[in-house]
Amino acid sequence: MIEVSGLTGGYQNEDILTDINLTINEGEFFALIGPNGSGKTTLLRLMTGALAPSGGIIEISGKPIQTYSPRKKAEIMAVLAQSSHVEFDFSVEEIVMLGRYPHQKGLIKHISRRDKEVVSEVMKQTEVYQYRNKPFKWLSGGEKQRVLLAKALAQEPKILFLDEPTNHLDVKHTVEMLQHLKAYQAKRQMTIIAILHDLNTAALFADRFGALHQGRLVKKGDLSVLKNETLLQKVYEVDIKHHSHPTLAKPQMLVAPEEMHHSNPHALEAEVDQNEQCIHIAFPRPLRVLSNAVVGEGLQWLCHFCNFYVPKNYDCSNPADDVRKWLEKAGIPLGDTLGMMTAVKLADKAIVNEVIMDTHIFTIVTAGVGNAMDITKEHPLAEAWQIGTINIMVFLDEHLTDGAFVNAVQSATEAKTKALVDMEVTDPATKSIATGTSTDSIAIAATQNGTPTPYAGSGTRVGKAIGQSVYRAVTEAIENYRTRVGK
Amino acid sequence: MVNSFIQKYSVNKTVWVYIFSGGFVLSTALLGLFVSSVSFPLTAVLDVLAEKIVGNKIFGHEAAGNIEVIIWEIRFPRVLLALFVGASLSIAGASFQGLLRNPLADPYTIGVSSGAALGAVTVLYFQLSISFLGSYTLPVVAILGGFITMVIVFIITRLSSRDLNIETIILAGIIISAFIGAIISLIIALSDREDMRQILYWLMGNIGMRGWSHVQLLIPFFIVGVILLVSRAHDLNAFALGEESAGHLGVNVQGGKVLILVGASLLTGASVAVSGSIGFVGLVIPHFVRLIIGPDHKHVLPLSMLTGGGFLVLADLISRSIIAPKELPIGVITALIGAPIFAILLVRERMRKG
Repeated sequence: MIEVSGLTGGYQNEDILTDINLTINEGEFFALIGPNGSGKTTLLRLMTGALAPSGGIIEISGKPIQTYSPRKKAEIMAVLAQSSHVEFDFSVEEIVMLGRYPHQKGLIKHISRRDKEVVSEVMKQTEVYQYRNKPFKWLSGGEKQRVLLAKALAQEPKILFLDEPTNHLDVKHTVEMLQHLKAYQAKRQMTIIAILHDLNTAALFADRFGALHQGRLVKKGDLSVLKNETLLQKVYEVDIKHHSHPTLAKPQMLVAPEEMHHSNPHALEAEVDQNEQCIHIAFPRPLRVLSNAVVGEGLQWLCHFCNFYVPKNYDCSNPADDVRKWLEKAGIPLGDTLGMMTAVKLADKAIVNEVIMDTHIFTIVTAGVGNAMDITKEHPLAEAWQIGTINIMVFLDEHLTDGAFVNAVQSATEAKTKALVDMEVTDPATKSIATGTSTDSIAIAATQNGTPTPYAGSGTRVGKAIGQSVYRAVTEAIENYRTRVGK
Repeated sequence: MVNSFIQKYSVNKTVWVYIFSGGFVLSTALLGLFVSSVSFPLTAVLDVLAEKIVGNKIFGHEAAGNIEVIIWEIRFPRVLLALFVGASLSIAGASFQGLLRNPLADPYTIGVSSGAALGAVTVLYFQLSISFLGSYTLPVVAILGGFITMVIVFIITRLSSRDLNIETIILAGIIISAFIGAIISLIIALSDREDMRQILYWLMGNIGMRGWSHVQLLIPFFIVGVILLVSRAHDLNAFALGEESAGHLGVNVQGGKVLILVGASLLTGASVAVSGSIGFVGLVIPHFVRLIIGPDHKHVLPLSMLTGGGFLVLADLISRSIIAPKELPIGVITALIGAPIFAILLVRERMRKG
């Protein structure tokens, strides 16, 4: 639909863009990304014909853009530009009606019934209908932006150019505007070319991307453009990491400024506070945690780590809410805390705090083996949630990558199972050696000091440290448990 | 239901505004013919007009010897001249404001009036006469002077800022006006005493003792200018969001802009040529009209013409009757009335914004 080849252009004899080659297909949402001054707006203005190129060709539907008359061009394409200054008291409706200009023929531009229909429809779509009689210049920045979008849509374009369409818009209106646009696009096969500063918004809504850097189109393609961290770092000159959206199959970008990484040699010095109800471990700085705890699951940064005691007959219909209630009562900040539960007496905990193979590691375990199970044998299924019986928290003064966290969980689990084997813990149902209990919890927490370690499996320094520490702690905890139970 | 009521109401309002403006023009014109140092009965005045225009008297008054001369040769052309000049300056002001998106733009503030005045003074001082133009030498040179000045103002603005910035245009206009003012002063200083008084008086803006010849000078330019501007009313609306935005709406920006500027310069130059520079009409009238009818140029342009015409007839009436039998230059009256009104409008606007 739009074919740009060898395009060069800029302002006043100075070329900002060099050799741009780009094809944009009908009905797609193409996002132009890149830092300030990379030439995004210039490229947009060249494609809309507002600027004349100094070299190269821009073709719309197979015809060079210069061959279109202003009116013919306005019938096909609409532009939502950045500036929105209006001097006189034009009402919102009058501004939107300007969008019908290319469709009004003849010397006297009569406003037809169809013009009125289109205008009120697009005003409703962009939620500005209620302001239609208000002067445009009295509106807030976000409202103005929506009015200008309505004006652009009133042109009923086949191609819509957007320069920072979500400027001045809050999260709600940003999402709503782009959702409207996507719906409108699907209905009318409209092509959208947008400059988007927010990479995360771009990732959610655009189909294809073009990255501009110093006037060159350095990369174009699908979502893989945004997942290319090296490219984004080169283009934006800051460290940009991506991770996946929690519910959609889209990447989301995170900026990681280097100055904010700090070294903290004392980060593993924690305060351990214990009473009948709870073991509370508090760190002065947050640790990166991977866990399956009741509260604070997944990958997070947390300061507080709690293990709560509950009696055996605890009603576990809503454990997460209970943990939150207890945390609130204890005055421990909710968003900063990981919470586990156990029916084992907290006094039977085992703590191993030492430096193993250059790794400062601190492990705390509570263990009861009443629900011991052999995972390889058939059992009647346990209830959805039961009180955890072996709760393991491992704190490391290391810098683990996401993969290394998974390795660390693997290493800790292997060590736990080895301890159960050596302690001859048996599954009461199958009489075989148990591999764990029905609902074990684990948390691996690292200070992220020093250089990142990508591996923490059993063959590595960190893995071995985890294995030894967890093995010792689990063994000691089971011994404590057995002593109390009297076996 | 409510919507259609509002529409109906607003259509009615528009019609009423037109009727009122038309009535204003007619009544001021009649007042202009009627009120003077020598007064005649209204019916006698109407009879003279009816006989001259239609060929028949309505009331059958005996034509007293001088009434016909006074009404037809002196007062009527004077009223018409005020009407056309007021209409020209107002529609030119409204167009400049719309095109430049600048409520402070008018023929006076952006230097067109000064340029036209310089052109006119040059013709008067050097007694120029370009053979094929004949008596049209004065307006043509004035129009050219105005147009050239405007181009210079735009070049200065363009050189000092990338876009046609509102404040820069006014600033450049004032600078050029001051410069041209100096040149005109120089010409006055060089001229002898009688010429000087004439030029000075003319500069302050004056439409007295001009007669039919000046009306004839103005009319062709008036017709061409008004047609050019009124036919671009819709484009002027599209300029509301700036030139680039107008281009995206399908407006032929360069062509439209040139036509509007040429039209407005024709009207301004021709007005200055016949009446000197009369300030504030082009500034205040469009502003006032917008307050009443809104910013749609389809209505702002014609209503500015009507209101501006009526206003200048009224101003002329005041200028010749307030210290009768002496006359004040009409530019003094428009400035005395216009400047405070404009100040009030500005303050009101500010208060409305809160």
